[in-house]
Amino acid sequence: MSGEIVIAHLYPREMSIYGDLGNVIALRKRLEWRGYDVAVRPVEVGEPFDLDEADLVFGGGGQDSGQLVIGADLLARGEKLRELAASGTPMLVICGTYQLFGHGFTTIGGSEIPGISVLGARTVGSTVRMIGNVVVESPFGRLVGFENHSGQTTLDPGQEPLGTVTKGYGNTSTGHAEGARSLNVIGTYLHGPILPKNPHLTDHLILTALTRRFGVTELAPLDDDVEHRAAEVAAARPR
Amino acid sequence: MPLWFTLAVTKAAATLSRLLGRGGGHALPGVIAERLDPRLAGRLAASLPHGVIMVTGTNGKTTTTKLIASILEANGERVLTNSTGSNLKRGITSALISAASLRGRLEATVGLFEVDEASLRRVTGELKPDHIVVLNLFRDQLDRYGELDTTAALIGEGIAATTARLYLNADDPLVASLHRYASSPDLVHYFGVDELPPDAPDVPPTASDSDRCPVCRSRLEFSRTFYGHIGHYACPTCDVVRPTPDVAVTAVDSADATGSRFTVAVDGRPTEVVFPLAGTYNMYNALAAMSLAHGCGVAPAVAAETLAGTVAAFGRVEELTLDGRRLFLLLVKNPVGLTQVLETFVSREAAPHLLFAVSDLDADGRDVSWLWDVPMEALIPSDAVVLTTGIRGADMTLRLHYAGVASEEVEDVPSAVERLVREIPVGGTGYILPTYTAMLAIRKLLAQRTSMQEVWR
Ligand SMILES: [Zn+2]
Repeated sequence: MSGEIVIAHLYPREMSIYGDLGNVIALRKRLEWRGYDVAVRPVEVGEPFDLDEADLVFGGGGQDSGQLVIGADLLARGEKLRELAASGTPMLVICGTYQLFGHGFTTIGGSEIPGISVLGARTVGSTVRMIGNVVVESPFGRLVGFENHSGQTTLDPGQEPLGTVTKGYGNTSTGHAEGARSLNVIGTYLHGPILPKNPHLTDHLILTALTRRFGVTELAPLDDDVEHRAAEVAAARPR
Repeated sequence: MPLWFTLAVTKAAATLSRLLGRGGGHALPGVIAERLDPRLAGRLAASLPHGVIMVTGTNGKTTTTKLIASILEANGERVLTNSTGSNLKRGITSALISAASLRGRLEATVGLFEVDEASLRRVTGELKPDHIVVLNLFRDQLDRYGELDTTAALIGEGIAATTARLYLNADDPLVASLHRYASSPDLVHYFGVDELPPDAPDVPPTASDSDRCPVCRSRLEFSRTFYGHIGHYACPTCDVVRPTPDVAVTAVDSADATGSRFTVAVDGRPTEVVFPLAGTYNMYNALAAMSLAHGCGVAPAVAAETLAGTVAAFGRVEELTLDGRRLFLLLVKNPVGLTQVLETFVSREAAPHLLFAVSDLDADGRDVSWLWDVPMEALIPSDAVVLTTGIRGADMTLRLHYAGVASEEVEDVPSAVERLVREIPVGGTGYILPTYTAMLAIRKLLAQRTSMQEVWR
């Protein structure tokens, strides 16, 4: 098996904190270990990029100031991203980028950063900082990670969450929903980073991309002992 | 409440806490003092004839504080300082209480405190520091502070409450921007590095911390980067530009794992420095100390002579011999720090022996995500012999696995240290890289195995 998969990495300079870069490393390595070539294309503010080339789209977390910097540029790419999402392109967006993939984010300072409404979610900054280890039950299986946000995200009626927290906060400091999922787009607050310790989720994204690009229907299994061990340890840590 | 009464109560509490074996009673007197007399620290510090110096920033506080203390002592001062890990307000208060007589008299001539970034604003109003050194601002334990810009603003508030002289890292844009909080522009001093040798290894930048203009948010243009976001920058949009440092490294003659030799120009006059702590980050610590020394009227030659006799601060870079092997103990706590340590000690070694001890208690930072922000792929040779341990040793093994470096997790810390020593050939060298609480555990362990008093002071 061979061929190249293109990962579009949205705003790596502004939106890469708390180890979110590890998600790109995980996607790349798990594709390479199965014999595929991987090209990671950074999409930076103001730089032209044809998103039609992307087999997979990733965006990480950032500071509020980073979100302000990318806001307008992301809006300009919004129509294209909505179109790709509707056609089933796999996407993973974390924390700050998750917020802007919703309808928008009102910062604690009152700034309004409009989002691109790929996901039916709206976020409002709060004074509660939601920090700690998280465990989520999801249709992909158990997910473990670490959250660190003060945005409270409310889902539209009918918008599926990614899953339900069994430890930690998730979208809000009061409810149990974590993240959002529409078609193959996944938004979540989980750092950790999420993909290295949750290889089943990584492989879901990879297989979706390979199916769409090459018609591949099955992935060669990998030895995931190290991944599972790290996930076990993380899941057992206090909130 | 009379001063002697508060002092008697808090001193008794310290003694009791020590007798009960509660970690030497570092913070307890401070906690009690805050209840009995919240202004106690300020009252005590006011009697120090040469005032108060504070050192803050993400990386290098402990090392730089130690360097400054040595320099000032060489210049005849009696220095009162807070001990490692007590850099919050109560720790500083405790240090003052324990040094004071019951009448509130201090033997010391000057107070020198390392201060946690977020705590600075809680101590400057009361202690009225005369000098504040700001080293750098990197992402570190963000679970406490939220965001880097927030941390900078907190330091700014702390500065604004004083009329202190400032010693700012010219090469860190966010730190240099703190000049605007100074009570007068005449009080601002900068230190920086003009030149590094061109053969410095090419390390991909860690996830960028602060490459945006602190004023207008445009992306800064860097003509040089030395590590992280430390370098020479200018804003393409507004007038923000790297300030010209008045204490600057103008040339580096040599730099390796044993330390570096470099020239520091103080107001244009060169001084040669031989500094036994390796790494560009430590060169900045030395530079900060020389900058402060200059501001306190210490001759650069005295400062340089003291730097040459440096022994590393607790756990930061310690070296010892065990069963015929040479071991380095190198504290790691955030991506930029770990990147620097790996670059300095590990990246150029053939088949190095390493032990990573990663824990996630409060003092380590509870989030270990940052391990993925370190370019391990570029920094750890793939033939390295690597062991991992600590509460989150599995996370390190996972990170290394995705960097193409095989490692083995050893569950308990003592066995991991034993294994490392046995893996290293006699006469060889190994590196132990622990997070904070793992460092404390390993240090305690090694103390039982070696006559470390001679090595560690
Ligand atoms: Zn600017």
